[in-house]
Amino acid sequence: MSREEIITRYERGTHRLGRIVTLLTLVLLIGAPFLIGSTLGVMPDIPAAARGFLAVGIVWTVSSVVEFLVYTPMLGSGGSYLAFITGNLINMKIPCAINARDLAGVKAGTKENEIVSTLSIAVSSLVTILVLAIGVLLLQPLQPLLQSPALQPAFDQVVPALFGALAYKYYRKNISLAVWPLLVMSAVFILLPSLQSQTSILILPSGGLAILLAWLKFRKEKQA
Amino acid sequence: MSVIQQLSSPVIYLICGSIIVFIAAVCVVFAVRAWRAGIAIGMDPAVLKRIVTASASFSVLPAVGILLGVIALSGALGIPWPWLRLSVIGALHYETQVAQGAAEQVGIHLSGSEMTGSAFTTIALLMSVCIMWGMVLNLFLNKKYTKRLSKNSSEGGSSFGDMAMTAMFIGLVSVYIGSYLGQWISGNGRFTFTGTMLPLLTALCAAAAMALLTAIAEKFRLKWLEDFSLALSMLFGMACAVLLNAVV
Repeated sequence: MSREEIITRYERGTHRLGRIVTLLTLVLLIGAPFLIGSTLGVMPDIPAAARGFLAVGIVWTVSSVVEFLVYTPMLGSGGSYLAFITGNLINMKIPCAINARDLAGVKAGTKENEIVSTLSIAVSSLVTILVLAIGVLLLQPLQPLLQSPALQPAFDQVVPALFGALAYKYYRKNISLAVWPLLVMSAVFILLPSLQSQTSILILPSGGLAILLAWLKFRKEKQA
Repeated sequence: MSVIQQLSSPVIYLICGSIIVFIAAVCVVFAVRAWRAGIAIGMDPAVLKRIVTASASFSVLPAVGILLGVIALSGALGIPWPWLRLSVIGALHYETQVAQGAAEQVGIHLSGSEMTGSAFTTIALLMSVCIMWGMVLNLFLNKKYTKRLSKNSSEGGSSFGDMAMTAMFIGLVSVYIGSYLGQWISGNGRFTFTGTMLPLLTALCAAAAMALLTAIAEKFRLKWLEDFSLALSMLFGMACAVLLNAVV
């Protein structure tokens, strides 16, 4: 069989397999909350979930489109199917695939890169699954400790801890994009305290403001 | 049995574990196909072995970092669901944000003490729905998009795409940091400065830890430390919250 035939066959199989497993994963992930709910004797509150989606989900939908457009050329078809199924793209899969590409000395856009990328993401995902499984196995005996009242403030402050760390990470390199959204949002929450429990609805306007500033900066840099 | 105990019961482990096993099998199939195709088109098996070794060793440290995310979320959502979410499809920074947003919509804070069965299933559903769009796009557009890319030989995506994504995250982060400031200044009435300072102080502690870890990682070129910095900063912030809770 010629190289072209092998590649054509591999690509056709990758798309067929990728679509089937993506569809199955979607069904499993959406079905899981209902299945868990049936064991608990409750069901998800669909109107609340719909409100939540309007508040939080739209931002992530836009983010998903950008991720798809940006990362698919880097990962190739097989790597892309697998990376979007297994997640942790920015903090693991993308650097892993790029590292593998450099090690193999292959160029982006080639079939070799497609193979290297798919292999590296598959291995990375398997290692993650294994590490987390071992970790969770050892975590169960720790559950009473994790739920102790002394540690409750720590778990109640997970979100501020996350955003504090992220704020430093993103602000330090993009201070010009960060100043106005931070000032505007702080003013909103100070002047309208009732919105403090509804932070998620302000994500879209804040994100929109930051994207507008980014676009102006992008255009200015292009013209310079 | 409390809701949190129910959320860590064997049957929930079975449901989440089965999905993880399915995804692991998918990874094995993709890896074997890629390996065989590589050999078939004449790639050196030694290079492919190196890819496997390098990718495996690279992934261990970030995976341990992700495990800390499972621990962080387990207090509010039990162990199996965060285990599933962070093993498959999820991302450390995404899960907490969406879980928090979803918790607001069902009228609770993201904590084990306030969690109910209905709230959990709603949060879990929203966590799944919000992150599924990358997969949906792959399902319908991957083939067309990658074919078009190969025709045009274009690589890397648009530079504004990267910038827009960064900007969007800055917007997200700004909302939450702004809310912590608002909680302190106007939490008990506009400009009373008597609201809770704990979220703001926790965020500042985590940011300080991130600054320190980033500086160390950059100065000594410690790539592994960069992988851990987010999770370690979060843990430091959470530890500070326990100590600060006694004084603020």
